[in-house]
Amino acid sequence: MQPIQLFDLASRQAEWLTVRQQVVASNIANANTPKFHAKDVTPFDAVLDKSDITMARTNPAHLSGNDFSDSGDIDVKEAALDQEIGIQESGNTVGLAEELSKSGDIKRQYDLNTSLVSSFNRMMLMTVRK
Amino acid sequence: MDPLSAAMKIAGSGLEAQSTRLRIVSENIANARSTGDTPGADPYRRKTITFGQQMDRTSGVETVNVKKVGVDEGDFSTEFDPSNPAADQKGVVKLPNVNILVEMADMREANRSYDANLQTIKQTRDLISSTIDLLKSQ
Repeated sequence: MQPIQLFDLASRQAEWLTVRQQVVASNIANANTPKFHAKDVTPFDAVLDKSDITMARTNPAHLSGNDFSDSGDIDVKEAALDQEIGIQESGNTVGLAEELSKSGDIKRQYDLNTSLVSSFNRMMLMTVRK
Repeated sequence: MDPLSAAMKIAGSGLEAQSTRLRIVSENIANARSTGDTPGADPYRRKTITFGQQMDRTSGVETVNVKKVGVDEGDFSTEFDPSNPAADQKGVVKLPNVNILVEMADMREANRSYDANLQTIKQTRDLISSTIDLLKSQ
């Protein structure tokens, strides 16, 4: 396996994780907004499988695939209904506990990601130094 | 705008919205016994608050904010108290349509949501600092 590929993979996962964090933040902030439906991003393997061909945005006013990411290969969709909470009286579907656990997941994965990158970087530096 | 800064901004707007909600709740509780000052006058009406999403034009991020502060059109409760200045000819005083229990529940919920937003901000800050830590010399 080539080292460059690992860095590319790591940065794509980091991007996916940050977009997911933004989506979770938006869900939590809208926990009391009437008619708001909880959202989630597509799983990472689906993002990886998708080809990287998207139309170039040459102007900031151009529409991107979604509001959260410029790269267009990360999709934000309505999340499956949390059965314990269901739809509230106000038409809102956010379950705070679920969102917080998602956020914890993101933190853990991001920590793993950054430590992997840093240790890999250390390994590469080791080969460069005599 | 990068997703992490956007997440900070969204959670920040959530904090602001929830604290406004707490303000409304405290106004309602403080005015739970505010009667009118002329005979037969209407007392304080309970205030309500609604949130909505709004696009922040400078950053293109959908933040949450207070959409509307309305009033509860529910019926007033009445009490017999002829000595009160707001009592009508029959000695009946109208009291505000504030239910302390409802307000307390609302306050608790606003508190929970505030905490959740705060937690998101802390989490996002951790993510940012672990990214910056990549630059540290090992």
